Amino acid sequence: MRLLIVEDNAELSRLVANGLAGAGYESDIVASTEEAREAVHNVSYAAMILDLGLPDGDGLSVLRELRRQMEPLPVLVLTARGGVQDRVNGLRSGADDYLAKPFAMEELVARLEAILRRPGQLLGRSLRLANLVYDTESRQIFVDDKPRIISSRETSVLEILLRRQGRVVPKKNVEDHIFGLEGEVASNAVEVYVSRLRKQLTEHGAKVVIHTVRGVGYMMAEEK
Amino acid sequence: MARVGSKNGSLTGSKVRAPSFKSLISRIVFLHIIAVAVVAIFLPLVLFWLLNSEIDQLHRAAMRAQAETLAERIVVRPDGRVTFNLPDSLRGLYSEAYGRYQYDIRDDDGRLLFSSHRKTGDVASDTISGAEVTQTIDGTTVHIRVGEDLSHRDVITDDIVSNFFRRVGWITIPILLILLAIDIFIFRRAIAPLWRASEQASNIGPARTDIRLPTEQIPREIVPLVTAVNLALDRLEDGFRVQRQFTADAAHQLRTPLAILRTRIETLGDGTVRQLLHDDIESMSRIVVQLLEIAELDTLVLDPGETADLRAVCAEVVGAIAPFAIAQHKDIALKGAEAPVLIHGNSEMLQRAVFNLAENAIKFTEKETSVDVEVGDDGSVRVRDCGPGVAEEERELIFQRFWRRDRQRSDGAGLGLSIVRGVADDHAATVAVDNLPGGGAEFTLRFRLADKAVSAPA
Repeated sequence: MRLLIVEDNAELSRLVANGLAGAGYESDIVASTEEAREAVHNVSYAAMILDLGLPDGDGLSVLRELRRQMEPLPVLVLTARGGVQDRVNGLRSGADDYLAKPFAMEELVARLEAILRRPGQLLGRSLRLANLVYDTESRQIFVDDKPRIISSRETSVLEILLRRQGRVVPKKNVEDHIFGLEGEVASNAVEVYVSRLRKQLTEHGAKVVIHTVRGVGYMMAEEK
Repeated sequence: MARVGSKNGSLTGSKVRAPSFKSLISRIVFLHIIAVAVVAIFLPLVLFWLLNSEIDQLHRAAMRAQAETLAERIVVRPDGRVTFNLPDSLRGLYSEAYGRYQYDIRDDDGRLLFSSHRKTGDVASDTISGAEVTQTIDGTTVHIRVGEDLSHRDVITDDIVSNFFRRVGWITIPILLILLAIDIFIFRRAIAPLWRASEQASNIGPARTDIRLPTEQIPREIVPLVTAVNLALDRLEDGFRVQRQFTADAAHQLRTPLAILRTRIETLGDGTVRQLLHDDIESMSRIVVQLLEIAELDTLVLDPGETADLRAVCAEVVGAIAPFAIAQHKDIALKGAEAPVLIHGNSEMLQRAVFNLAENAIKFTEKETSVDVEVGDDGSVRVRDCGPGVAEEERELIFQRFWRRDRQRSDGAGLGLSIVRGVADDHAATVAVDNLPGGGAEFTLRFRLADKAVSAPA
């Protein structure tokens, strides 16, 4: 799986490439919109990391062009522009995510993997946090590589929290994810499932913790 | 500022001796009243004087005509004797019984030849005014003087003069006052465009440097001033734009080197130094972001029709900042309204304000304590922490840019709360801080509720 880095600052692109290599991704580096077009045309990349301010034009023009050609290549926009309007423009032009400089390498990898794990994308099946692994296709859970059984609804909660690990998942999203459009759902149903999931994870020895952010939602993170 | 002001005040105070009027109209009215007063006094006097002299003129001409009539009656005999034969028709007129007209006829040496009255003395005494005619009849020069006793003067002429002020002179005062009123009216109309221009000017501020004063309808004498002011505003706007652009560019330019630095640090092996460097980069990046936010805030022009759901904004912020709080073993919770709270404002800007408040609260709250963000149905957001609170004398200072209580702390540049204040100002909202009875601070933002009937989603 190859990634394309479009960034005109040679030092930064080298460091990003090294960081990605550390996470197990190979990447090619180009430094202009022209080279980016050519690279996308010739190689089938898994995703593109796109800087907006390029010497021969705006990175967004490359993005718009790709989307006009119905090219589904996932694009993570990486930019020094952090203004409101810039972010809105970026996402409207078809970016899958938007990360403002300076960013943490960890976050870049996490966001990239989140994009790659979206349905239909290459990065497949397993979600990982600490000693916990979840296979999205078989819906199997492993702790320390040993399979564990967790009940169905709790597994749904685990999946959505794992997909967005380190970020707060609004309670409403968890609710929709478990029940779909089932209609009336008891107001404390999500709390009940989350607390059952917590209990089961502890029993299985998973080194993860589910934080409650009262009034907002839940966040899964590594236990420290 | 206050000191400079008072200094200026005493300076002008000592320089200006005459009453100084701040208003052009009051200055004009004042000078006009003086002019009216002077004219009101002198005009009747001048008219009175002119009337009197005209009457005197007429009187003298009449006397002269009478003297000439008398002269026709003087005959000089061949032996040099002068005879005067007053006809009967005129005798009555000059009789002492009638007492109104008198005449004296003298020769060249001043000897009295004939007189209408027996008393010695001049015809021209205090009450008698008259005219003298000198005629040479057959080589003999005679002086004929005719006088009229003014105490018996023509009644009509007398009345006109004595009643002049009461009957005629007063009219000048109302005329002058009406003129004054008309002048004030004309002047007010003339400067009305200036009022409109100043109203326009009052909207100009750092966030609205694009406004220019209208030059239409401005009196031609003032147009150079207005044009000069507009040109000055052009130059100021340029300066402002350069300044803002610089802040924005500088912040942008810092981002790539920061990204490089950060990534490079992350490739270092694990260790305390790495963590410390990482934290430094983290706070520096935050300052850069805040600088950009400030630069953006300075140029922000809000759409007055824009509304935002305050609850959604706060939920977003609490969700975004919770990982940061949790990493520091602190807690954050969203409380209050369950339903959307629609207010006038821009969601992104509101998020920044609430984010900076929440970030500030997390920074100061104790470990293992919670920060509460409470949304009120009345369009308010309260952010409570369990920190040391804010001292009374610091409650204004904390909202100033770059103000920090503890200069030793390196986690922030003191920009967060100034951004909160900036967003509040742009939204015509208020921000206040109080200490909680049980310790900790409570920041309250109050926004204007949007009309639910119009903009609430179905």
